[in-house]
Amino acid sequence: MALMNDTADARDLLDIARSTLLNQVLPHVPGELRYEALMIANAMAIAAREHAAGDRPARDELTRLRDLFGENDQPPHRALDAAIAHYNRRLAADIRAGRFDDKKRDALLYHLQRTSTDKVAIANPKALEDTKRG
Amino acid sequence: MTANNIDDPQKRIGLEAFLRAAAGANAVHIRKLYRLSGGAVQENWAIDADMTGGTHPGPHQWVLRTDAAARVEASLKRAEEFEILRVAHLHGLHAPQPLWLCRDTAITGREFFIMQRLPGIASGHRVTREPELVPDGALLARELATNLARLHEIKPPQPRLTFLDTMLARDNVAQYRRYLDQLSSAHPALEWGLRWCEINAPVDEETTFIHRDYRTGNYLVHEGRLAGVLDWEFAAFGNPLEDVGWIFAKCWRFAGKAKPAGGIADAEDFLLPYQEAAGREVPPSALVYWQVMAHIRWAIIALQQARRHLSGSEPSLELALTGSIVAELEHEIVSLTR
Repeated sequence: MALMNDTADARDLLDIARSTLLNQVLPHVPGELRYEALMIANAMAIAAREHAAGDRPARDELTRLRDLFGENDQPPHRALDAAIAHYNRRLAADIRAGRFDDKKRDALLYHLQRTSTDKVAIANPKALEDTKRG
Repeated sequence: MTANNIDDPQKRIGLEAFLRAAAGANAVHIRKLYRLSGGAVQENWAIDADMTGGTHPGPHQWVLRTDAAARVEASLKRAEEFEILRVAHLHGLHAPQPLWLCRDTAITGREFFIMQRLPGIASGHRVTREPELVPDGALLARELATNLARLHEIKPPQPRLTFLDTMLARDNVAQYRRYLDQLSSAHPALEWGLRWCEINAPVDEETTFIHRDYRTGNYLVHEGRLAGVLDWEFAAFGNPLEDVGWIFAKCWRFAGKAKPAGGIADAEDFLLPYQEAAGREVPPSALVYWQVMAHIRWAIIALQQARRHLSGSEPSLELALTGSIVAELEHEIVSLTR
């Protein structure tokens, strides 16, 4: 069992704020602001999932990117976000130039599939259920 | 979002004077004026008015359509959209009848036009979720299909539509790459989708008038039937199958994910009547191709919308959340091109 904190962390705060918004505030929100209230709840849910995932998706993405370029034996020399941005710029340029058309195509598609799945899991996990069903 | 508030006494008087002159009427009285929902790019205002004399005497329900604060880069000007509606109306398409164009920005602050207000519901969420709105999905799909086939009978050149771009498959790829190049970060999944669309681009393409936003959420359903197609601001000349891929794309099925034709019907319910009315085949490979292109295009529009928020020029929760749908679109592009 995880250690219990004495104060609420970001995820707890977002979760309780969101359920208060939906259960206690929303019933009193006038009709013309209902859409805005639901958008706020959605934004809070996305932020809570992003916080819960931490930097795990980004670290995995970087590992896959470095695999694609065969550079995992070298130590990373950039901060996580900067390294991902760097490799994504390289990857985008190489894809456009056709360097992933043939033998590296499957590796690319594996990477893109994993990366987009991780992002959907944060942005809208319901869509992944739809994909499985559909 | 900063609305261009038209419901101001001064503007109302100006609007009545404009309508009186445009219709050669003795008097125009605006009974009601209110903003219609939807439209981050355009604003639509409902007008209920009475006209005495002139070309349109009697009570009326109109829509005033004008630019929202910020425009999407690829969208047309109001004067151009007005011309397109005239052409659509002349060809007997299901579309609101355009009435008067006002290019004088002194009246409401922006260019606008007045069109007929058609009855019905457009909301994609409702149309795909509430069976009482669409009791017979196949019937609605057939009406959408035959209307689209008729729209694709309009061929270039069109003397009234000389401002329209021609956008065939490779033109789409080139334009989306230019948009991606303007963004601050790289998007490998979209780059892959574009590369795939480049490699698999059709060798021969027909060129017709195309709507480019013909999908659930952009047409009015009234008593289960197609009442009118809205939002003509992205129209162009291009491959007619682009419009078919667009209405089939998963991102436009709303609550009806298992119904490929716009979330309202099975594929055949749309494809068979379209093919028959248009005299044009829709090969399965073309349908996939244009669905991939549809997801790329919508992802790029979503990134542009998100940038309006992120740049600080137009802070908006709606625009910020639009950016969060890009992940789903990329996921679908990867699934379709594996």
